Amino acid sequence: MPLAPNPFVSGPLLPKLSPPSSYSNRTMTSPPTQRTNPLHLLAAFASGGLLTLAIFVNGEAGRFGGAMFSSWLAHGVGTVVAIVFLAVAWRGQRAAAAEATTKIGKAPLWAYLGGICGAATVMLTSTSVNSPLALAGTLALGLAGQVVLSLAADFWGLLGLPKRRLDLRDAGAVILIAAGSLLIILFGLGAA
Amino acid sequence: MIIPILAAFAAGLLVILSRQVNGRLSMSTTPLISSFWNHFVGFVFLTVVGLVLGGLIPANIAEMPWWIYTGGAIGVVFVASGSWLITRIGAVNSTLLVIAGQMVFGVIFDLLRGAPVTIWAAALGVVLILAGMWLTQRKR
Repeated sequence: MPLAPNPFVSGPLLPKLSPPSSYSNRTMTSPPTQRTNPLHLLAAFASGGLLTLAIFVNGEAGRFGGAMFSSWLAHGVGTVVAIVFLAVAWRGQRAAAAEATTKIGKAPLWAYLGGICGAATVMLTSTSVNSPLALAGTLALGLAGQVVLSLAADFWGLLGLPKRRLDLRDAGAVILIAAGSLLIILFGLGAA
Repeated sequence: MIIPILAAFAAGLLVILSRQVNGRLSMSTTPLISSFWNHFVGFVFLTVVGLVLGGLIPANIAEMPWWIYTGGAIGVVFVASGSWLITRIGAVNSTLLVIAGQMVFGVIFDLLRGAPVTIWAAALGVVLILAGMWLTQRKR
C-alpha cells in the first residue's frame, strides 16, 4: 500500500485531533470542524484490501482447526509481531505515547479490552455461518450492524472519540456503499 | 433462526465497538501500542476460552502451510491503521471505506484466483461503491 500513511510513524502524524476541551465538555453544540483528507480515505480503502487478505488467510486456518483456533492463532501471531514492531520502533513509540498521554490523559481501563470484542466477534460469526444464514447472510447482517453502530458512534461521539456531524452526503454514501456491498455479497460472489 | 440473525448483527456491532475502543486507546498511546494490546488481550481471552472448551489446537497443525501464520501479522497492521484512521476520518467514514476496500479487493482477489464471480452483480456493486466513495471525499 504505497499510498497509505504509515501508522507506525510517530511524531507529527500523531493526534491532530480536536482540542482536548471537546472531550471534557460533552454538551458543546458544534462538533469539531470536519475535513477529510483524501489520502486518509484512500488509506482506509487500502486497509479494506488488507482485511480481505487476512480473512482469506484466517479462513484457511479455520479449515484446519475451526474458527476459534484460527482467531487464537491470529491473535497469538499478532501479539508476537506487534512486540517485534514495537521493539524496532520503541524509542519513537515511547516518546509519542508519552506525548499523547500528556495531551489527552491516560486511557481508561476499558480501552484495553478491544481485543475481547474481536475475539467475541469470531464466536458470533462462527455461530451464524453454520446456520441457514451461511456466509452471505452473516456478512450482510454484519454490515448492517457495522453501519448502525458507526452512525451512532459519530452522532454521539461514543467512547471518547470525537463527535461528527452527519448530513445527507453521509446518508448517500451509506446507501450507495451498503447497496453495492450487498449486491456483491448476495449475488456477486460464489454464494450466488 | 432469530439467534443466528442476532449473532451476525451483533458481530457487526462488535467490529465497530472494537475499532472505537482501540481508537480511544491509541489516542492516549499510539496506534501500534493499541494494536498490541488488542492482540494480547484477545489472545489471553481466547486461550482461557480454549482451555475451558478444550480441543483448541488441531492435531494436524504441523501440516499447515507457512503462510497461514501471516494472518496475525496482517491483522496487526489492520488494527493499527483502523485506530489511526478512526481518530482522523470518524467512525462512519472508516466503516464505509474499509467495507468498500474489502468488497472491491475481494472481487479482484476472487477473479485472480479463479473463484466463481457473477460479473454483472460484482461490477454493478463496485460501481455503486465507487460512487459512494466519491461522496465521502467530496468537499463540503
